Amino acid sequence: MNEKLAILWPEIFLFIATCLVMITGQWPSRAIRHLTPWICAIALTVAFFAAMSSPTTQGMFPAIVPYAKMLIAGVGMLILLLLSGTVDRELEREVDNGKAFSSIRSNRGEFYAFFMFSITGLMLTASADDLIWLFLALELTSLPTYIMVAISTNEKKSLEAAVKYFFLGALGAATFLYGFALIYGSAGSTNLNEIAQVYATNGISSIGMIGLLIAVIGISFKIAAVPMHFYTPDVYQGAASPVAAMLAFVPKTAGFLALMFILGTAGWASNGNHLPVELEATLWIMAALTMTVGNILALLQSSVKRILAYSSIAHSGYMLVGLIAGPGEAGGPFYQNGIAAILFYLLTYGVMTVGVFAVLASLEHRNGTEADDINDIRGLCKSQPVLGWTLVICVLSMLGFPPLLGFLGKVGLFTSGIAAGQYALIVILGINSAIAACYYLRLVATAYIDDDSKTRPTIYPSPFFMRKIAGVISAFAVLFLLVFAQPLVNGAYKASEYVPAIAGEPEHEDHHAQDEIKDNDEHASNEVAIITND
Amino acid sequence: MITASLFNSFSMPAFLADPSAGHGEASQHLAQLAEHAAQHPNAGPKWVLLIVLLPVLGFVLNAFYAAFGNKSKIPAWTTIALLATAFIATLSMFLSYEGTPYTVQAFEWFNLHYGDKSFVANFSFYIDKLTILWMLFVTGLATLIALYASEYMSHDIGLGYCRFFAAFCLFVFSMACLVMGDNMLMLYLGWEGVGLCSYLLIGYFYKKPSAVAAAKKAFIVNRIGDLGLALGVYLTFVHFGTVQYSELFANETLHTYINAAATGDFSHIPAQAQWIALLLMVGAFGKSAQFPLYVWLPDAMEGPTPVSALIHAATMVTAGVYLIARFYPIFLVSEHALPIVAWIGTITALLAATIGMAQFDIKRIMAYSTVSQLGYMFAALGLLSTTGAAFHVLTHAFFKALLFLACGAVMHGFAGQLDLRKLSGVAWMKGWGIVGVTMLVGCMNLAGLPYITSGFYSKDMILAEAFITPGYRMIGWILVFTAILTAYYTFRVYFRVFVGPQHAEPGDEHDDHDDHAHGEEQNHDAGPHGDHHSDHFHPHAPGWAINTVLVILACASMLSISLAYIQKAEHHGWVGSMVAESSASYHSPYAAEAHYAHVEHTDMHPVAGPVGTAAPGKVFGMDAHAGMILVSGLGAIFGVLVAAYFHGPKGWQGLFIGGRTESDKCRMDAIARRAGPLPRLAENKWFVDEIYAAILVTPLRIISHIFHWIDKLLLDGLVNLFGFLPRVFAWVIRPSQSGVLQGYAVSMAGGLAVLLFVVLVIVMNSGGAA
Repeated sequence: MNEKLAILWPEIFLFIATCLVMITGQWPSRAIRHLTPWICAIALTVAFFAAMSSPTTQGMFPAIVPYAKMLIAGVGMLILLLLSGTVDRELEREVDNGKAFSSIRSNRGEFYAFFMFSITGLMLTASADDLIWLFLALELTSLPTYIMVAISTNEKKSLEAAVKYFFLGALGAATFLYGFALIYGSAGSTNLNEIAQVYATNGISSIGMIGLLIAVIGISFKIAAVPMHFYTPDVYQGAASPVAAMLAFVPKTAGFLALMFILGTAGWASNGNHLPVELEATLWIMAALTMTVGNILALLQSSVKRILAYSSIAHSGYMLVGLIAGPGEAGGPFYQNGIAAILFYLLTYGVMTVGVFAVLASLEHRNGTEADDINDIRGLCKSQPVLGWTLVICVLSMLGFPPLLGFLGKVGLFTSGIAAGQYALIVILGINSAIAACYYLRLVATAYIDDDSKTRPTIYPSPFFMRKIAGVISAFAVLFLLVFAQPLVNGAYKASEYVPAIAGEPEHEDHHAQDEIKDNDEHASNEVAIITND
Repeated sequence: MITASLFNSFSMPAFLADPSAGHGEASQHLAQLAEHAAQHPNAGPKWVLLIVLLPVLGFVLNAFYAAFGNKSKIPAWTTIALLATAFIATLSMFLSYEGTPYTVQAFEWFNLHYGDKSFVANFSFYIDKLTILWMLFVTGLATLIALYASEYMSHDIGLGYCRFFAAFCLFVFSMACLVMGDNMLMLYLGWEGVGLCSYLLIGYFYKKPSAVAAAKKAFIVNRIGDLGLALGVYLTFVHFGTVQYSELFANETLHTYINAAATGDFSHIPAQAQWIALLLMVGAFGKSAQFPLYVWLPDAMEGPTPVSALIHAATMVTAGVYLIARFYPIFLVSEHALPIVAWIGTITALLAATIGMAQFDIKRIMAYSTVSQLGYMFAALGLLSTTGAAFHVLTHAFFKALLFLACGAVMHGFAGQLDLRKLSGVAWMKGWGIVGVTMLVGCMNLAGLPYITSGFYSKDMILAEAFITPGYRMIGWILVFTAILTAYYTFRVYFRVFVGPQHAEPGDEHDDHDDHAHGEEQNHDAGPHGDHHSDHFHPHAPGWAINTVLVILACASMLSISLAYIQKAEHHGWVGSMVAESSASYHSPYAAEAHYAHVEHTDMHPVAGPVGTAAPGKVFGMDAHAGMILVSGLGAIFGVLVAAYFHGPKGWQGLFIGGRTESDKCRMDAIARRAGPLPRLAENKWFVDEIYAAILVTPLRIISHIFHWIDKLLLDGLVNLFGFLPRVFAWVIRPSQSGVLQGYAVSMAGGLAVLLFVVLVIVMNSGGAA
């Protein structure tokens, strides 16, 4: 129990802050109301440092918690910077003009509270070791985002997006919950380690395999992979840019962590360093379709947010390659380790996507609506050099342009795929990178090459300085993290350590006593040691 | 994690190689690392990083000043303060150096392991005496020249001022990476960094087409050399498996080669190893402006003069010398590299000197003289005298910076006038005394007047070496002849511009310069006398910053004579001792025979050289050094006298043999008229640029046009075809994004079903499990 608590400190801090935020956001005094984001920032910082010293666990991924939570807190901080000013603009303006503050109309409290809930859920996903826990954590991650989409703007399209997102999200959740139920049915346990144990010992039964497949496809809603990707462009476009940035990072990270845990029960080792063939085939088809559909549909868009939504789909497809490759041989190098590549890519993707959305969020039309159309960023490098260059750098990084961070992330995925022998998939990945260049370079060219200032629609920087800062930090990270990449790579590598379950373990009646399982683990490894000694 | 990597000393097994440490005892791991770092004898003190960090800080601050629209001299003072601190740090690095090279790691950079091989290149710095020697004059001169530039660039206060000092700081940082880096990748980073800064600063006046063209030329010509360097680095890694100095110089294979080379037997050294030196040499030729890649340096004078002094005379262009000195062990194992270096250096020295004789632009003369002097340094390297090369680098850095800055003062004061026919008697104008005197000191050093100048001693060391080393006597004579030419063209400038009747025509920057307030008051009566045609023009004499810097540099170039004599006489003095305790350590066996009974090698690297008939070279039956003092000393005096006769004014300023009474007429004109096309050829730089244009640039241009059309018609057509396909596909699947909720839900459920079905079919066909 204490061990579990030691892992959960970051979540506990975040939860306390969430409760505080709900109160301060509604406070009549303006100063205290404005404290709200700062409380979130403090909580994220504390969570970051608490995560740094998280102990290792006994699970399949014993070292994942510190890296994953530091990543979540770090990118979460960037998103928090971006969220400033999303809600209550009108209300605050009225209050400035002397009207009384009405807490009924204020959304600040719940907006930041939902953000914190979602981050908490994401961290809980990283700590999950049980199917029920995993389900609840995934839903805690997603449910607040539905409402955040709805209240992020005053426009009708946000409500429409939120409704779509909610219903389809519910469908996705129902799907993977069904899968979880089948897994439970086949393994007799909801504990992931025990399920892995059972699968390793008895093999995966048909019902278990169907459960795994349905769970994987269901969770792919979170990462926006084919066939669960349909909602993405509509929802991103409907949400305000800061919330869209959050949608690009938070559910995706949750989804990949969950997929790692679910696939970990089946194990990459069961089929000669490959996943079981059914899972591999499913993931293979999903990866190939996801990146192709994402990239190809992005070609035709004129809305930057929709382009980013499709690019988010495509990036999920890239990362699925790492999932197929798996952790490689135990103790193998970074470049053969697909899990490490995913963990590193999540960081990369989070930083660069926040950067691009920050640019969009920092621009608005005269009437206060956000920039979205590709014409809005025309000639941005000249009219708004800081934002323009942020956009150029982050988009080039998404393309995987060599000296930038995104390049290093993609290299990891490529090499892990090659090491796993997935040559056909790597060719598809390569072709897709080339297709992606079409629309990424279109964004770069639009921002960098000024067509004609007369045709440019009037676009102004939004009054929220923090959003610009978020963009600039992202651009700097993309530019300079490559130089300091070694510690990050080491961190991702260390976090990717995978301990497959050992076959031959007799099933245990008592699933509640954690200690006993630990003993059994030791017992099992002793047995193996004896066998090898003979 | 981050702290852990900071503690990682360079020889630590990296984490990737040691995955067993993956379990959570992070703190324990950290403690071990720290303990190891503390015990490691080669880890240096962290404050050494200041030398690199301070210029970066300067760059960042200047960028901020630019962003906030600073319109004062604060950028200059910031830069001077930071660079001076860096110089003090370098000085304390020198004083605290204890005889063993050490490395200081800033952070882990590349740490890749594959199979049993590894590629490690950390962002760390390798400190030995060669590094210290170079960094001392780099940071010292950078500080002084920043002070000079604070005044010189004052007409550009505002954005341009910030831009200048930002690039200046970035240059010092890059140079520090180049010189201090502990691996070839850091060297390459610095190499490209100084190239970039050079480009930025040559093109500082970016509205002037000639400056932009010069910047591009410098960048492109340097690319050729950089390609050689990059290939050399790559080949080093391929052959020796490491790019880190400490490992490379301790490499067993390399020592086997050196021992083989010492017996004169190169047949057992693989061609691959011999090629490394040749490739690195190309890099050095590019950066240090050696034939045939020297053409960019004279054009680089388009940049502001402080830049010419620091980058294109004193520091950056000596990077090639540093490169060869640093990798001397590798050059020793190549049969042809050092002889080529010697000959190319000699040819460059002679060629540049002949061009310098016929130029009229004083800054350009100095530029050709830089090329020529760099030729001397390369000849020294080729003649197995790293000490001679390093000593000449050092003395040259001082006196050439001095000469450039004095020319810059003239340019600054006379509205950009650099034509020696349009200036005369500058030293006698009011307020110009210090410039006149310091310029004289600089000229004497460059000409190598015997006994009293440091340039004489460093040049003598090289010349003597040429006569001592068998087979290089020819080079010796060419270099002696070049020395006479050098004395001539140097004093040609001095006699024409600084002494004689006072006359000055302003340059074309008249309007830009004259209307700003600085120095106006004191200069009103200091104007040149009646005979100039612009009545409004008043040259402004240099202010205290320029004068101070000139005086300090003049003193430094005189005092550096002593560097050849203080400390350890058997090592060629202080410079010798600095070089001896580094990877450049090498003593020509001939020099040892000629002068020193026995040289104690306390160095880390066993050295040896080609063995031959070690008869010490004699010049006129004398010991080579004594003979050279006579020959080169007399040569220099002869050169000065020739210059005095042809260009000197009447009276003692022309040493009583001159006869010039007007600024633009002299005795040389008559000879030049009669000498046929030769002077014109020399003035037009032997048409080297035009020859390059004809045989290289034009064919390349034609080929590029052909490729352009192939690209446009054939490849673009194919690419457009392939680009068209995804769009067609996109049109086909686009309707699936209808935006209708029910449609999405059905698609999701349907997709799930189809996917499961397909997988089922696949699995059944492949006969898989379950």
